Amino acid sequence: MSDRPISGLGQSIMPEWIRAPQDFFGGIALMAIAVFALWASSDLQGMHGFSFGAGTAPRMFAGLLLGLGFAVMVVGVVTEGPRMAGYAWRGPLFVSLSIVSFAITIRPLGLVISAFASFLISALGTLETRWKETIIVGICLTIGCSLLFPYALGLPLQLFPRFLVQ
Amino acid sequence: MAELFSNLALGFGVAITPINLLLCLIGALVGTLVGVLPGIGTIATVAMLLPITFGLPPVGALIMLAGIYYGAQYGGSTTSILVNIPGEATSVVTTLDGFQMAKQGRAGPALAIAAIGSFFAGCVATVLIAVLGAPLTKLALAFGPAEYFSLMVLGLIFAVVLAKGSVLKAIAMIVLGLLLSMVGSDIETGASRMAFNVPELADGLGFATVAMGVFGFAEIIRNLDAGAEMDRQLVQQKITGLMPTKKDLIDSAPAILRGTALGSILGILPGGGAVIASFAAYTFEKKIAKDPSRFGRGAIEGVAAPESANNAAAQTSFIPLLTLGIPPNAVMALMVGAMTIHGIVPGPQVMQKQPELVWGMIASMWIGNLMLIIINLPLVGVWVRLLRVPYRLMFPSIVIFCAIGIYSINNAPVDVVLAGAFGLLGYWLIKHDFEPAPLLLGMVLGPLMEENLRRALLISRGDWTVFLTRPLSAVLMATAAFLLVLAVLPSLRRKRDEVFVESES
Repeated sequence: MSDRPISGLGQSIMPEWIRAPQDFFGGIALMAIAVFALWASSDLQGMHGFSFGAGTAPRMFAGLLLGLGFAVMVVGVVTEGPRMAGYAWRGPLFVSLSIVSFAITIRPLGLVISAFASFLISALGTLETRWKETIIVGICLTIGCSLLFPYALGLPLQLFPRFLVQ
Repeated sequence: MAELFSNLALGFGVAITPINLLLCLIGALVGTLVGVLPGIGTIATVAMLLPITFGLPPVGALIMLAGIYYGAQYGGSTTSILVNIPGEATSVVTTLDGFQMAKQGRAGPALAIAAIGSFFAGCVATVLIAVLGAPLTKLALAFGPAEYFSLMVLGLIFAVVLAKGSVLKAIAMIVLGLLLSMVGSDIETGASRMAFNVPELADGLGFATVAMGVFGFAEIIRNLDAGAEMDRQLVQQKITGLMPTKKDLIDSAPAILRGTALGSILGILPGGGAVIASFAAYTFEKKIAKDPSRFGRGAIEGVAAPESANNAAAQTSFIPLLTLGIPPNAVMALMVGAMTIHGIVPGPQVMQKQPELVWGMIASMWIGNLMLIIINLPLVGVWVRLLRVPYRLMFPSIVIFCAIGIYSINNAPVDVVLAGAFGLLGYWLIKHDFEPAPLLLGMVLGPLMEENLRRALLISRGDWTVFLTRPLSAVLMATAAFLLVLAVLPSLRRKRDEVFVESES
């Protein structure tokens, strides 16, 4: 279970005519976003006469992005460039999980549980974590946040689970 | 001139009440404290601390925000120098020589010079705002929709010129930002655009949400990549001597002067003025230095010039905000948000209708700068200790702070998830060498740009040549075109060189 980014993968699978895979796939992804935006804004009203409708500007920018994405892709074919960078999975996965868990639990369970749980989940994001130390820091941080945000900064945050408060 | 002094007197009269001084001090202190955390830059700091100011009266809130802003900016420079993590785009240049100085045990002088340079730049820029604020307001009245549109095109082009990598990719990022800004309700018809019936999207994507995701979370995720540990090695050695020597001061004085001048001018231009200023000041110092090879190896001018430039620019960037109502950069956009919450619409009217607010804020900027130097020179040792916290403990804390920060803006869990999604997008962008800064600028300017484009075309009855036939607009467009050519030329030349190299080998 190593956390090394998978590198070199891009070079072996990719055909030779893609000389800058980083740009090539970046361009394709931008084009995909543009097409998605074109589809998403297709139900909006367009130009009538010389005045803009709600959908004119989004379609204009999406069209522009489509062209630029294509250009970036072409650049990836005609010029030499860096190959695909390796992606690590551990950091992105656990940091995202931690963010999502915070979002789900903050309303029903309150700040104390939510912040502490998210702290531990995001700590899974690296193998360097030493658990005893992390748990102690997590508890201190949770206490600090519970004092800082609702009291010192006056934010309307619930501290404890809803069913306990009621 | 007399008017100028009476205005400044009015301003200081408002700012030097015990309450406002205290607010300014707290703002600067908290801003520095949060800004000094690596991974949390100026934008995130201001976004996170914005809610603190909601309960205050408008003048107090803006004064505190100004304090937070300067504090955060200085905090960002501190991390650039000590750990080579720029807190934000403007302090990227500071890492080049600042971190080298820190490695040589000269972190103290570097931090001190950064503070002194910033303070000097702040003093000059305060006077400049007072002098130029009113005349520029008159200029603002000459601006119609066509001119505003051209001005924004110019601002976006600036973001392109300064992007480090490919011009094409920078433009693509701007357009992506513009496209993202289209999400939400249409300004004129109220039609819901690309919101997919998600109620939280009806008002559009929150700027702080996107910024925190693309900069904060993405940076954390990237730092967790194996191999990135090398980059976050802390400077563990002792700081030798806090104060710069006499030679340091003599070396850096002219650099501070030049940086301040450049920064003041560039800050007025909308569109990443402060970023442009720091890059330009560094490049300029390197160009005129007797021995350019010292730069990048711990030259004190390489810290002094960009730091004073970015502070001067940060300050003068209030001019377009206060007079034209245009946010010149991401942080200023947040300021507009804060002003609107307090019922103030930034623009030419503010100067006339609420002079005590405008001048109070200008005066408090100067006081904010003074507070910074008072707070920071003795605190340098403390910052270093804070940064010795290992990253394995630091990053979960940053994640939690960011999550709470975003949640507290709207009390909306969806915003937190969105920020996470933008974090992944930002990570992907970094991996594909796309820069997130132009994207953010596009997102900020998008709605204004669309509104003015629609208005201009409505007034000209659908005639697209209006942007070139109105003189002021034509000048702005020509400048934008010129800058774009200037930005594209070197890359074309480089391509040609590459071709030659290939044919030779």
